[in-house]
Amino acid sequence: MSGALRAQAGALRESVHAEWTKLRTVPSTGWLLLTMIVLIAGVGALATEVVKCPATCSQDTTKLSLTGIQLGQAAVAVLAVLAVSGEYSSGMIRITLTAMPRRLTALAAKAIVLAGVVLAAGAIATAGSVLAGRFILPGNGFTGAYHSEILSLAAGSTLRAAAGSVLYLALIALFSLGLATAVRDSGAAIAVMLGLLYIVPLLTDLGTLDPRWHHRLQEWGPMTAGLAIQATRNLKALPTGPWPGLGVLALWAAGALLAGGLVLRLRDA
Amino acid sequence: MSTGTITPYRSAQQPGRDDFAHLLLSEWTKFRTVRGWVIAMVGAALLTPLAVVALAGIASGKQNPAANPMAPTATGPGSATVAIGPGGEAVTDDFYLVHQSLAGNGSVTARVTSLTGSVLPGQVPRGVTPPRGPQPWAKAGIIVKASTRPGSAYAAVLATPGHGVRMQWNYTGDTAGLPGAVSAASARWLRLTRSGDTITGYDSADGSHWAKIGTATLAGLPRAVQAGLFVASPQYVTATQGFASNDFAQLNTQAAAVFDRVSLAGGQPGATWSTGNIGAASVVAGPRGDSRCRQLPARSVCVGKRKAPAGGLARSGGTFRVREYGGDIAPYVTVVDPLGTVLKGTAIGLIAVVALGALYIAAEYRRGLIRTTFAASPRRGRVLAAKAIVIGVVTFAASLIGAAAAVPIAERRLHSGGWVSSVYPVWSLTSAQGMQIVVGTAGLLAVAAILALSAGAVLRRSAGAITAVVVLVIVPLILAVILPQGPADWLLRLTPAAAFGLQQGIPQYSQVMHTCMPYNGCFPLAPWTGFAVSCAWAAAALGLAIYLLRRRDA
Repeated sequence: MSGALRAQAGALRESVHAEWTKLRTVPSTGWLLLTMIVLIAGVGALATEVVKCPATCSQDTTKLSLTGIQLGQAAVAVLAVLAVSGEYSSGMIRITLTAMPRRLTALAAKAIVLAGVVLAAGAIATAGSVLAGRFILPGNGFTGAYHSEILSLAAGSTLRAAAGSVLYLALIALFSLGLATAVRDSGAAIAVMLGLLYIVPLLTDLGTLDPRWHHRLQEWGPMTAGLAIQATRNLKALPTGPWPGLGVLALWAAGALLAGGLVLRLRDA
Repeated sequence: MSTGTITPYRSAQQPGRDDFAHLLLSEWTKFRTVRGWVIAMVGAALLTPLAVVALAGIASGKQNPAANPMAPTATGPGSATVAIGPGGEAVTDDFYLVHQSLAGNGSVTARVTSLTGSVLPGQVPRGVTPPRGPQPWAKAGIIVKASTRPGSAYAAVLATPGHGVRMQWNYTGDTAGLPGAVSAASARWLRLTRSGDTITGYDSADGSHWAKIGTATLAGLPRAVQAGLFVASPQYVTATQGFASNDFAQLNTQAAAVFDRVSLAGGQPGATWSTGNIGAASVVAGPRGDSRCRQLPARSVCVGKRKAPAGGLARSGGTFRVREYGGDIAPYVTVVDPLGTVLKGTAIGLIAVVALGALYIAAEYRRGLIRTTFAASPRRGRVLAAKAIVIGVVTFAASLIGAAAAVPIAERRLHSGGWVSSVYPVWSLTSAQGMQIVVGTAGLLAVAAILALSAGAVLRRSAGAITAVVVLVIVPLILAVILPQGPADWLLRLTPAAAFGLQQGIPQYSQVMHTCMPYNGCFPLAPWTGFAVSCAWAAAALGLAIYLLRRRDA
């Protein structure tokens, strides 16, 4: 390893440490992560509670128990937006960039810390909702008969859906971080982010749109495409496959981080 | 020791005027002098119409069979029972008629002594138990109709099992007469008199004391009309939203009525009663594959395993027994709501308005301006009330202009995209429904802005407040489509998303059984009741915000 590279790696490590200290000492971080976990596990438990077999046995129970992600992601978006917009509103960003003049390294450190925190909390939340489904569903008649299955992370598709949901949350965090870095203002950033997430499913759930547009919107909408990772049944009906769908969200996140990185490099803080 | 009098100090400054109008003025000044907010408000006011009009462009009905139920499809002809009524609207005009020609003025009278019926066996989804007995809106009565052509003008007085005696005319008109069901013990006398274009309906319990139900004017009624007895038995329709699939059932029904004391004044002397189905015969009782079924037109349906008594007239002396399988005389009701769907584009503008509402107070906290505001006007509740009025009025006014511009354009685009206007009416802005959609859109945006302002005052952070309100208002609409009917209905009753019910674009008629699934954009609450739910949320949030503003340090 050349000296310059080693110095950069050292700078990144220090930057990550600084970002971790900032994130963990802000009271909102804990509250937001707690909100996220409660929303994901709680809504998942509620969604599995209201479904009954044999009335609707052919349910995608895995996807159902992960319904809470649709709400929990809003808390993740707030967390990621505040991680950068909070610094702009308090002026902290100038101190951050004085301490770490390589701005892209500072952004990378933020992304690493945020992704790590969201992955950890998301894993707890997702495990919680799968566990809730595992205990609630058999009581509602999903006992393994009539093509219903008992939720288990040992099943490949369930593991993919659960792990993919955790990755989904991390990608939402990175997407929001990139967007907030580009937009700076927390209100504007969160409004744009929530709009991008929720508008597409809102419009495509009511099947009145032209089928081609319906398909196109679902295929490229960050939320509809990314949540394809949760499907374990009837995969042919999905607008995209599970992993390509998550890939679409990754593209959105990469695009937002690129835009954020450019603005951070080119504009005064 | 002596004490002199001390004159207390009085400032030479004139006290500032502390009236609410000045508070409003200062809050309005704060709003209009922040360039970003004015731009955002103009943007929000433009976003809604742009989104709605763009969505109307991609909501093409060309591939949607519901867009034009009258058009032939690849698999068969269009719906046989849909005709175009005198007002240009799609109607169901399908019933069994026993009639004579009536030239000029006259009247028809009959007594109904029995009205029975049942749901015919068919594909009944699990968990659905169709009610026994006749349909509540089965119809047996007397009618004066311009001609036997489906969709022609008519006026009728009829008995129903569930809604008493009614006078109905031209498919949408409906007035109640005597209440109660028909039986031999409580027979119903019905009478229609014609005088030119005017038809008057009467009912009576005993044949001697007549009460006028109503008057209908059928414009352009020809001199020779058809008058007589009729029976129709609407389908039993049920739909329940599930997780992955919706249970939908349309069960055919039959109804049989007994008439006597039938008289026609003004008919041709010596004329006899003719009989026949109006509209296409859509239902025949009998086994599939039965010779009678095979002879029927392609769009007819055969139901049942055994051959049931055929529909038609059985007459013995003065008693007419009339039976009909299926049919109805009513407006055609669709469940698909393209206008309501494209109006969901409002959600884009709503997010912008919510952001503005939250920032309107959160920005003051961030910049510390809030302390100046409270120093100048120490009554904090009034400050928040003034802010709520300013943001509410500005949002309402801007959105009203946007919605009034967008709705007619969106309707035109839907119409040219294949959604026929006879089923999906193009509401004028002055019609009640058009007014409800436009004013409702502006109203729900204004209420969302006030809700966001209150959330901003409670949370003091714009990001948290915006997210809370968006999750509360928009996410229920998304979840309501994927959850089963029960929880979905409750979400749309209890959350501020209930206000979106104001944007439903298809007409509803109480005399037609219709199904309401959130999947189809249907809301369980009446539109303005849903708006009241949303207002209650905003009021409660504002109350909490005022309470906390008074309690906490700024």
